[in-house]
Amino acid sequence: MAGELSGAALRRETAVRGASRHATAWLLLAPSCLALVLLFVVPIAYVLLLSVTDPRLSVAHYQRIFTVPVYTRVMVNTFVTSLIVTALCLVIGYPLAYVMARRAGWVSTLLLTVVAMSFWTGFLVRTYAWLVILGSKGPVAAAYGALGLGPAPQLLFSTFSSTLGMTHILLPYMVLALYAAMKKIDANHLKAAASLGARPAAAFREVFLPLSLPGVVNGSLLVFVTCLGFFVTPVLLGTPRDMMISQLINQQIEELLAFGFASAVAVVLLIATCAVLAIYNHYAGLDRLWG
Amino acid sequence: MLPVILAVLGALFLLAPILVVVPMSFSTAISFAFPPPGYWLGYYAKYFTSEEWLEPTLNSLVIAFGAMTLTMLLVVPAAFGYVRYRFRGKTLVNLLIMAPLIVPHVVSALAYYGFLGRAKLTGTLLGVMVAHGMLAVPVAFLVISATLKGFDQNLERAAMSSGAGPFRTFVHVTLPVLRPGMLVGALFAFLSSFNEAVVSIFIGGRGAVTLPKKMYESIRLESDPVIAVVSTLLVSAVVLGVLIAMSLRRRSTHAA
Repeated sequence: MAGELSGAALRRETAVRGASRHATAWLLLAPSCLALVLLFVVPIAYVLLLSVTDPRLSVAHYQRIFTVPVYTRVMVNTFVTSLIVTALCLVIGYPLAYVMARRAGWVSTLLLTVVAMSFWTGFLVRTYAWLVILGSKGPVAAAYGALGLGPAPQLLFSTFSSTLGMTHILLPYMVLALYAAMKKIDANHLKAAASLGARPAAAFREVFLPLSLPGVVNGSLLVFVTCLGFFVTPVLLGTPRDMMISQLINQQIEELLAFGFASAVAVVLLIATCAVLAIYNHYAGLDRLWG
Repeated sequence: MLPVILAVLGALFLLAPILVVVPMSFSTAISFAFPPPGYWLGYYAKYFTSEEWLEPTLNSLVIAFGAMTLTMLLVVPAAFGYVRYRFRGKTLVNLLIMAPLIVPHVVSALAYYGFLGRAKLTGTLLGVMVAHGMLAVPVAFLVISATLKGFDQNLERAAMSSGAGPFRTFVHVTLPVLRPGMLVGALFAFLSSFNEAVVSIFIGGRGAVTLPKKMYESIRLESDPVIAVVSTLLVSAVVLGVLIAMSLRRRSTHAA
């Protein structure tokens, strides 16, 4: 009986402590959650609201986005450009990350330094650099002249320049995602493959490549999603003729003061982004992406 | 050998365009001509004497510092609450904390443009500070909660059982162990604000022009060559920072 009593007391005590532990957790989390709801979720909700109420209550903005050819083209163009940038980042980034992960010593240190440097250099610095390089008085135009190829074609303010700029800016994200996954691959797997008679190319294809796929998925997702909503580079290097979503939002606000329509476009972008992330979450879990 | 060649080419693709800004900053050209027709230090003199560029630089530093402080005040307790306790709705809380990372910046920028405009906070340092503070929450949270997950709580138990109270334990045991992680989290928050362009462009107005906003406008409107000087200074700061980080990392791995 004494045992039973102390058992009950113990249970009561843990229940009390459990409740107070709960309270502590919420006390610690309350400031950030409150701030995020008031100063982040509410502003976003305001965009949602404006998209169907400005200038009056209707879903006309959404109908326009999906029926007027100019706007459907913007959506398709954004999607296609993002896919191209992702593919380019993957093609350029994979060997870079591979060497960083597999080689020891100064080569990999040097490459890591370069990647880290470009990762931390602001978007505007890098976008400005491309303005110089592709400009009419830049090195590419000069090379055209020197090689006697005649006047260089107009490179700036085109889909080409904005794709190139975005690839350059997002490449470090891809490389770091790939590198993180490749670093986890146990070198003994490759040694085992080699000892079983696999040539390096076969060992790479059958062992390393499949094991690096999580990094490929993570990096591609990161680049693709960032690209969908990329602002600075398309606005500065791109052309209004082949607009991306963010350029459309900017144009609607800056030139036309059409907040309702701009909000609707933003909501479409937000939903597209969330859809892509939800698919990823379903198969892999978002925690893997942050981790 | 092929992978190494491809990797070096990839690295050159990353590096070369960034390095172009260095000779540009010494150029005498009034537009973006490369290679430069001649060299001088005139645009450095202009940068360091013109209000037009120094003010955005100062604004960016002030805003980044304020945003970092705000972020840390919110994130440090949140990380403790999140990592150390189990409670209902944890997934939802995680989603809320990560939300600023999930939502595209241009959408957040538009949201703050409308919301802060209503509160008459567009074009103020405070407005940009608050927006940047929110946007930096996920990055800082990821870094600090990762540090906290790696923290061995037996250290605290040992301190407590040796007679230290919760407060003394926290100040003398918990904090010193977590300090490097906290510093990295704070640095990331600072840089996230310092490099942020889209929200600043949308809500900075005339009163809170940050450096990225000023660079954006100078490219769009006037092609001011001083932008090459600013870029070179920013690249130099990054190079210095990365080299310091690499040498610290090397020292810590050697020690371990």
